[in-house]
Amino acid sequence: MQHCLPEQLALAALREPLPDDDALHLAACDRCRGEVTSLRRAVDAVAVPELAEPGPAVEPPPSVWAAIAAATGTTVAPDSLTPEPVGAQVLPFRSRRRGLVLVAAAAVAGAVLGAGVTAVLRGGDATESVTAVALDPLNDEQASGRAEVVVREDGSRALQVDLEAPALDGEYYELWLIEPQVVDMVPLGVLRPGTQTFELPAGLDLGEYPVVDVSVEPIDGDPTHSGVSVARGQLDS
Amino acid sequence: MSGAVALRRPVLGSVVAVDQGSVRHSAANLDDVEVGRRFAAGDECALALAYERWAGQVHGMAVRAFGPGPDAEDVTQQTFIAAWTGRARFRPEASPLPAWLVGICRHKIADTWARRERQRREADAAMSQAQAAPVAGYGPGVDSVVADRVLVLDELDRLGQPQRGIIELAFFADLTHAQIAERTGLPLGTVKSHIRRTLERLRSRLEGDGAALPA
Ligand SMILES: [Zn+2]
Repeated sequence: MQHCLPEQLALAALREPLPDDDALHLAACDRCRGEVTSLRRAVDAVAVPELAEPGPAVEPPPSVWAAIAAATGTTVAPDSLTPEPVGAQVLPFRSRRRGLVLVAAAAVAGAVLGAGVTAVLRGGDATESVTAVALDPLNDEQASGRAEVVVREDGSRALQVDLEAPALDGEYYELWLIEPQVVDMVPLGVLRPGTQTFELPAGLDLGEYPVVDVSVEPIDGDPTHSGVSVARGQLDS
Repeated sequence: MSGAVALRRPVLGSVVAVDQGSVRHSAANLDDVEVGRRFAAGDECALALAYERWAGQVHGMAVRAFGPGPDAEDVTQQTFIAAWTGRARFRPEASPLPAWLVGICRHKIADTWARRERQRREADAAMSQAQAAPVAGYGPGVDSVVADRVLVLDELDRLGQPQRGIIELAFFADLTHAQIAERTGLPLGTVKSHIRRTLERLRSRLEGDGAALPA
């Protein structure tokens, strides 16, 4: 009896139709069928739709890149997560190992308020307001308000914040000063709806950290920004 | 107070400023081959670009296997992390980066199945011990197929080109040998003999390994 060629049996294992002669022989020959069965074990192991060539693309949530960046230590971020500079409507996201991954490049607009400005104002009234900014809600959030930089007689500075926002349960608001690249940031403290005053660290250059940001933080012991900002404004003088 | 300040310290200036502009403006128009080459060379921008270009594809596969959610996200994330940490094994001249990523994604999917299977067996064993009665199980061969899958994918990694490309087109793109010949430009006879030899090789791996002989 003339058996099928080994190549033909391999194709049969892949379930390709064989020429009639081969197909007829295969149907009748235990030896050839046994060969096909043994070759087919590998074929069947991976012949599942889940392993087939990729189908429709699905964009992963930003947390996936954050985890990759944290595990690989990369400081570069994909463009899809770094919108072109269009203003302040950009949110940092969290990467546990490296602090905040570079995610945004908001343009710095206008002049900056630096140490020189405060020096000029020294010796005026008990406090003097030097600049104020509206805190606009981000992404349809319910939070908004106003932040005002005041300078005291002794030259120390504070940020006075009025926040209108819903009370939170199991989370809290936190106030930040962020640099325009949304990479580095200075936490100013826990914020609640209403009016509060926050001490500004001496020597902190508001020109470097002009973005006033209100975030919602879970009570999870993680001191880094949650990545969830609800209101923001950018100081200029 | 000083304790609190110290805790918060890491968020201040902890990220090295890199030249974002170079990612966005010059690297963005690199072709896929160049991205693959730079990826292999360890250029972080290429990792970001690879993610930008192919994370959707990879995640699409993961979601197809596990549905949207943590399992799929884990597969996608593990795929890129494994690709990056294993980049020394990536041969940009032998296969395109997206194909390599997809291959790794298959591993991660199969690994997840194998892990679940193991957990199921352990749970069954615990249950049967608790009940002092034999467990009917979920039908014969489920775990052997799961184990076979891991072995086959592993063996595919060891194949050179064009063998690997050929068998992947047969396995995963469901192409006939004639379509593969057309797609690759290789002669029909060459394609057929590569298929034959690869299937033999996979068979010996499965039979030789003995970890999962059919029931
Ligand atoms: Zn025969």
